[in-house]
Amino acid sequence: MAERASKMRRIVVSEFVSLDGVMQAPGGREEDTSGSFKHGGWSFKFRDDQVPKYKLDELAASDALLLGRKTYEIFAGYWPKAKDDGGFADKMNNLAKHVVSTTLKKADWNNSRLIKTNIAEEVRKLKKQPGKDILVYGSAKLVNTLLQHDLVDELRLMVHPVVLGSGRRLFDDHAETLKSLKLAESRTFPSGIVLLSYYPAK
Amino acid sequence: MLILQKLGVGGRPWRLAGVDMRKVVWLMHVSLDGFVAGPNGEIDWVKFDDPLIEDVQDLVTTADTALFGRVTYQLMESYWPTAADSPAATKHDLDHSRWLNPAPKIVFSRTLRNVQWRNTRIVKDHIGEEIARLRKQPGKNLILFASPTLGSTFMNLDLIDEYFFNINPIVLGNGKHLFKDQSEKHRLKLLESKTYKNGVVSLRYGRAS
Repeated sequence: MAERASKMRRIVVSEFVSLDGVMQAPGGREEDTSGSFKHGGWSFKFRDDQVPKYKLDELAASDALLLGRKTYEIFAGYWPKAKDDGGFADKMNNLAKHVVSTTLKKADWNNSRLIKTNIAEEVRKLKKQPGKDILVYGSAKLVNTLLQHDLVDELRLMVHPVVLGSGRRLFDDHAETLKSLKLAESRTFPSGIVLLSYYPAK
Repeated sequence: MLILQKLGVGGRPWRLAGVDMRKVVWLMHVSLDGFVAGPNGEIDWVKFDDPLIEDVQDLVTTADTALFGRVTYQLMESYWPTAADSPAATKHDLDHSRWLNPAPKIVFSRTLRNVQWRNTRIVKDHIGEEIARLRKQPGKNLILFASPTLGSTFMNLDLIDEYFFNINPIVLGNGKHLFKDQSEKHRLKLLESKTYKNGVVSLRYGRAS
């Protein structure tokens, strides 16, 4: 895990992506079938015993989740009923959840609150509060907004050795964006997943 | 510090080219968000330093034939035939010129009529058959340089044996996508990953068995 550059809380974006950058529905066939996506659950073929440990350590270094509406709804429909020996589900259910959405009326999953407007400002406020890392999983639209506002402190991609050919990609196409990054870490897992971790370039 | 991570296979099997059947290897520099060039064809963001250049040169010398799509070919044809003549030529320019200019070159294009570069021929169609024929001939590997559109076609025809993707630490936001027109899922096998000081991570993949 990278050293902290400052005392301020960091926004850590952590994603499962295919080699062609698709982030849609890594964890289950029915997780998100929008756009007639037919590869749901694609990450499961590549699991090994080190990935869950990495994800658990990552979660332990965090005390809040920042999620977009879509990922929030998927998670809220799954984690309250989930159980595991590692305590991942318990932690997910107990963590503070900040949900960015203009349409959601309420957020019922334990310890959730809505961010409806002024996203960048609200996130800046969150970063000023004392605490550990704020984790962003999935939430492609939100990630692009955060990147555009230079609010991402670390970007971790777990690149899976598969080209899916269709599905929602993590990175939107923008005319104006060009962001230089600094490689923080790369790590290879036995399953062939490569973790690529970046800081924004100063 | 250079971090070398190896998986599965010991050694570097692509160095054994000439013993095994010729392989088709695809070399590509790509941004973290999957672009191979900016909206106007920009490739000035591609990071190259000496260790990376040496590794690319090692890879190139496992091959004896260069493959291109039209756009990449035309870019290369405008540079390499005279690159070594320039007083500003780098060691890499000299090394690569020495390999590339005499090497047999094949450009796959339905529209290209003429080529100026020596030892180049145009293949208009029947890509799979052409590659199958080349594979049966004795020789070293066949290296596909950049050429994202042709690379996608090769993938869909299952013609690629090894992929060398140099992932650059940049989000371009716009431009030419590496993986376009993929009609189906391709499962790959990570063979090696290597991290360079300049932040590039080189990922080498083969076919999943």
